[in-house]
Amino acid sequence: MRNFIRQRERAISLKLGKKLVIYIPLFWLLLFFLVPFLIVTKISLSQITYGRPPYLPMFEWSKDNLLTIKLYFGNFFLLFSDSLYINAYLNSLKIAALSTFFTLLIGYPMAYFIARADEKIRNILLLLVILPFWSSFLLRVYAWIGLLKNNGIINNILLNMGIIDSPIKMLNTDFALYIGIVYSYLPFMILPLYANLVRLDEKLLEAARDLGAKPLALFFTIILPLSMPGIIAGSMLVFIPAIGEYIIPSLLGGSDSLMIGRILWDEFSANRDWPVASALAVAMLTIIILPLILFKNAQKKEVAIDE
Amino acid sequence: MQTKIIANKYYDNNQSDNNHSLAADTKPWNDKNAKPFVRIKNISKVFGNVAALDNVSLDIYKSELFCLLGKSGSGKSTLLRILAGFEKSSTGIIEIDGQNMENIEPYERPINMMFQSYALFPHMNVEQNIAYGLKRSGMKKAEISQNVEQLLSLIKMEGYNRRKPHQLSGGQRQRVALARALARKPKLLLLDEPLGALDKKLRQETQFELINIQETLGITFIVVTHDQEEAMSLATRIGVMEEGTIAQVGEPREIYEYPATRFVADFVGSINMFEGKVIKNEAADLRINSPELDVNIHVANNIACALGQTLWFAIRPEKITLQKEKPKKRSNFAKGIVEEIIYLGDVSNYRILLNSKKRINVTRPNISRDEKEKISWDEEIYAVWHENSGVVLAS
Amino acid sequence: MNRNRRIVQFISILGFIFLYVPIISLIIFSFNNSKLVSVWSGFSTKWYFALLQNEQIIEAAKLSVFIAAFSATISLILGTLAAIALSRYRSFRGKSLLSGMVSAPLIMPDVITGLSLLLLFVTLRSLIGWPAQMGAVTIIIAHISFGMAFVAIIVQSRLLHFDKSLEEAAKDLGAKPLRVFFDITLPIISPALISGWLLAFTLSFDDLVIASFVTGPGASTLPIVIFSKIRLGITPEINALATIIIVLVAIFATLAMLQMKKIPE
Repeated sequence: MRNFIRQRERAISLKLGKKLVIYIPLFWLLLFFLVPFLIVTKISLSQITYGRPPYLPMFEWSKDNLLTIKLYFGNFFLLFSDSLYINAYLNSLKIAALSTFFTLLIGYPMAYFIARADEKIRNILLLLVILPFWSSFLLRVYAWIGLLKNNGIINNILLNMGIIDSPIKMLNTDFALYIGIVYSYLPFMILPLYANLVRLDEKLLEAARDLGAKPLALFFTIILPLSMPGIIAGSMLVFIPAIGEYIIPSLLGGSDSLMIGRILWDEFSANRDWPVASALAVAMLTIIILPLILFKNAQKKEVAIDE
Repeated sequence: MQTKIIANKYYDNNQSDNNHSLAADTKPWNDKNAKPFVRIKNISKVFGNVAALDNVSLDIYKSELFCLLGKSGSGKSTLLRILAGFEKSSTGIIEIDGQNMENIEPYERPINMMFQSYALFPHMNVEQNIAYGLKRSGMKKAEISQNVEQLLSLIKMEGYNRRKPHQLSGGQRQRVALARALARKPKLLLLDEPLGALDKKLRQETQFELINIQETLGITFIVVTHDQEEAMSLATRIGVMEEGTIAQVGEPREIYEYPATRFVADFVGSINMFEGKVIKNEAADLRINSPELDVNIHVANNIACALGQTLWFAIRPEKITLQKEKPKKRSNFAKGIVEEIIYLGDVSNYRILLNSKKRINVTRPNISRDEKEKISWDEEIYAVWHENSGVVLAS
Repeated sequence: MNRNRRIVQFISILGFIFLYVPIISLIIFSFNNSKLVSVWSGFSTKWYFALLQNEQIIEAAKLSVFIAAFSATISLILGTLAAIALSRYRSFRGKSLLSGMVSAPLIMPDVITGLSLLLLFVTLRSLIGWPAQMGAVTIIIAHISFGMAFVAIIVQSRLLHFDKSLEEAAKDLGAKPLRVFFDITLPIISPALISGWLLAFTLSFDDLVIASFVTGPGASTLPIVIFSKIRLGITPEINALATIIIVLVAIFATLAMLQMKKIPE
């Protein structure tokens, strides 16, 4: 009997412990991650007003005690009718896609090179990739201002060498924008690719070579398909944050290079139009969801390969 | 011999009633009055809707070295994990030394386990690994280090105290894992594929060491293995497992010579099997007609069966002889052609294609270096066996 | 084959140069005598002294370190709990919800996270009167929400590779569950915990966008101050600051790397 009671007590305390382990983080994320999105969605369907908060309530008790729900789709109509927003969307997509492509183009050979390097050098190379990632994002973007501006380092060098007569305008152009994104997000591409490529079994390559695969065939038939999860993971890690990027377009991009992240910020802080900013956020989320699912699947595959 | 003395010393200091070993001629499982040390009663385990264990009952006696032999997925590891307390059985009872193990947590059981992966704590050195269990039982520091030293000398690894597991060879890790599991002086030691990770030569040496330690310490061992040779050479008794049930329990010799089912006959060693129908069943005279043979099978003992019932006759390859001239008797032989000869040094294996297109295997010792009666490929040959050499199986 | 390898090597070297040219130029011009950050006019350390006397930056740095350390610590606890729940408990209500919410912040654009959290705080304030003011507390809460996701991912992957028989062995040798956790699980996953904490710290210390949304009067973190200064034009003081940060990060990263090597798999 005593044994039985002790057993019960233990079972109860174990259950309580398990519940705490699960529900503390779950509750936190519900409150500070999921609920905020619901609020954003709600406000995106509200009408702007002058006051605090700067939007009209969605739920209201009318005089005859009826709950009225006012859904205002005007913010979304605005997004589709004003070419400013549509252009910003398309532009963001284009810039994010192209930057992802360029990042992959540089990142893949680098990841491959590191993964195939000697073990001693490999760790140092990896450290060299991670190091910029750990130091300030903002300051690394800032560094490019000094390099790219009209009397900046690159123009000065080119002028001194006599290659150009007058400075090339690079800062505040799309070129600077692309440089900034590729530069900032390169480690995010290299690291998942490296993690994938380093596990690539050398024997598979030997087997393919043994069966007559030439270098190019080897790459396209063995290495590339096997590294697909890494490519997808890396691409998503670049593409998705690049869509909503705010710092890089506002520091390096031109005034005409419109990206949604920047417009959202402006609507929010300069125009104080919270409903439109929320509608922009909701719309931005809808284009992110598809890549998000792709990313999740790639992650799952990686885990499956690991096991 | 040296191992024996040290082992006795280790156990003498701490445990006086457990240092007699199981004498070779005492077989408690044959004694109806003997009390089993480990009782496994009607244990079932269901994962989802798959039964990993199906109503398993088993008695194991003190100081036995019992082997659970089976393929992967036969339920042997599940049974071991239930004994250790890592899994709860769906039904059934386990008793150890008269004590019901239900509701007793793994850390309270008088049982220790040696894991297949050894599970040595990578962040602790050899000494800390071995001492871990002793610390948990609240032993004093001086006593712990004395115990660790004795265990290290038991496994012949004196001076390795400060090594980390990754600095050890496979065999050394195995021995440290053994010492760690022995340190708490368990009543029962569970070993999950203890030799599985070692290469063949080391495995043979370690086998003897394991038996030696077990015999001198007198602890009851339950070993899980998929390797029948290992089970044969280690065990006092073997329990053959098949799809969550115990197919047969017996001494190694019993399992090999008198398999109870076709599964056991086929799983342990190799065997030739003929399917046939009973045509006569009288005192010491059982006759079976098999379409796979030209003549009848005659067996000099009886089993309970009806006329016309389907039975299987099983005979080991080494119990069949080969001769060139036709035998005079009217049963227990088969005519065929030598299809393949595999020379293995001590013996040669012959594959004979019978008239019925059935193939049988025959093993012959290579008695002389150049055989006078050489049998060669494609030769017509008679395979002959004695009426007491095979077993008749009903299932 | 050899030619292909050369091409890979060539691109890689260019890639590393690309990664480091801006950083090196930052460092070089932090020692420039002139106020221009693109024309060299002699060695000087005066910008470092100027930086140390700039109270606004020093205060912001202190605040950022405090926020980062605090939020990283809470992130570590919550993230580890989430990782244990996801990798150790077979099934429970809300498991897929938890796993989704844990991986989403990894790639959520900062502007969305920032906006949504701000709107949450505003809503909460009108409902329950808390938080009365935006500031360090709201920034910390925001940073925990994404920091714990990173910790959870790192710790989870370590737990998935964890040989469970190690814990069983400890249990078998007489250790109770809590003891097993502190003796075996914790030491073995500690490298993951350390890198999780460092990552959460860095992300918090580095964050501009989310903090800008949820900050309030008197709570200007270092990135907010730097950003406002950069918009006014570039100054060598910022270069000096960047150099200090980069050197600190390099020292820490190297130490961490050496430490990792000591701990066997």
